[in-house]
Amino acid sequence: MDSLHAIGFYVSAALSVAGGLSVAFLSDRSRRGLSLAVAAIGVAGIYLSLSAGFAAIVALVCYGGCALLLAGSTYRSVEPAIAAQWRQLGAVAAAALMAALAYAAYRGHFAHASFFGGPIGSAALGRRLFAHDALATEAIAALVLVALVGATVAWRARDRSR
Amino acid sequence: MSVSLVSVFFVAAALVGVGAFVSTWRRDLTHALAGVPLMFAGAGTAFAGVSRFAAAPAGGSQLLGQEVAVLLSVAALAAVALGVGLAGREGTR
Repeated sequence: MDSLHAIGFYVSAALSVAGGLSVAFLSDRSRRGLSLAVAAIGVAGIYLSLSAGFAAIVALVCYGGCALLLAGSTYRSVEPAIAAQWRQLGAVAAAALMAALAYAAYRGHFAHASFFGGPIGSAALGRRLFAHDALATEAIAALVLVALVGATVAWRARDRSR
Repeated sequence: MSVSLVSVFFVAAALVGVGAFVSTWRRDLTHALAGVPLMFAGAGTAFAGVSRFAAAPAGGSQLLGQEVAVLLSVAALAAVALGVGLAGREGTR
């Protein structure tokens, strides 16, 4: 990996982590959506610098869509009856999870190998998705269908109850 | 300056940790949904990194990690859409 790709990787990583942290701390809905969009750009940049161009395009569209959904006018607030100390305990557990994962990455022994793939590779990836691993693709398609139908039914039920 | 698999795993760990933090820190459940795509992005980053640095077969490339990253992105969008839809039914403005 040359210096340009390395710089792109680290800048994108900083963007994605900073965007994710901003999502946690910003109170305004539209700003949170903007932060998630910045994180989406960062993730797409990471994928692009890892020579996964097609995955970068899909990630930009999907995580950008998540940002639009969470910043849009359809947003409704749901407040659970959970005490603050449980949320604080969960935040500490999240930090412990990050530390454990980072330690596992640091202690791992990985072999070095050369890479021969192209920057986009959509044709080869499409062959894998629709020919070699068609069952996994169909499972994700079923999940998307269930999610969209569930979201539509939930919205219709809400409109009927008004 | 170079990037290794360990660097990729550090970034992936940070994204998963930040996603878990977002999901637990905010009181509003719809806001906590924003942590889901971040955690999925972290997992996808690890898979894409393994794909990038894995030993490739002769004349080809290792694409399984990229494939999982694509599927995780789509699954994250579906999960957030369903969550926002359910919150629209139960929640308040």
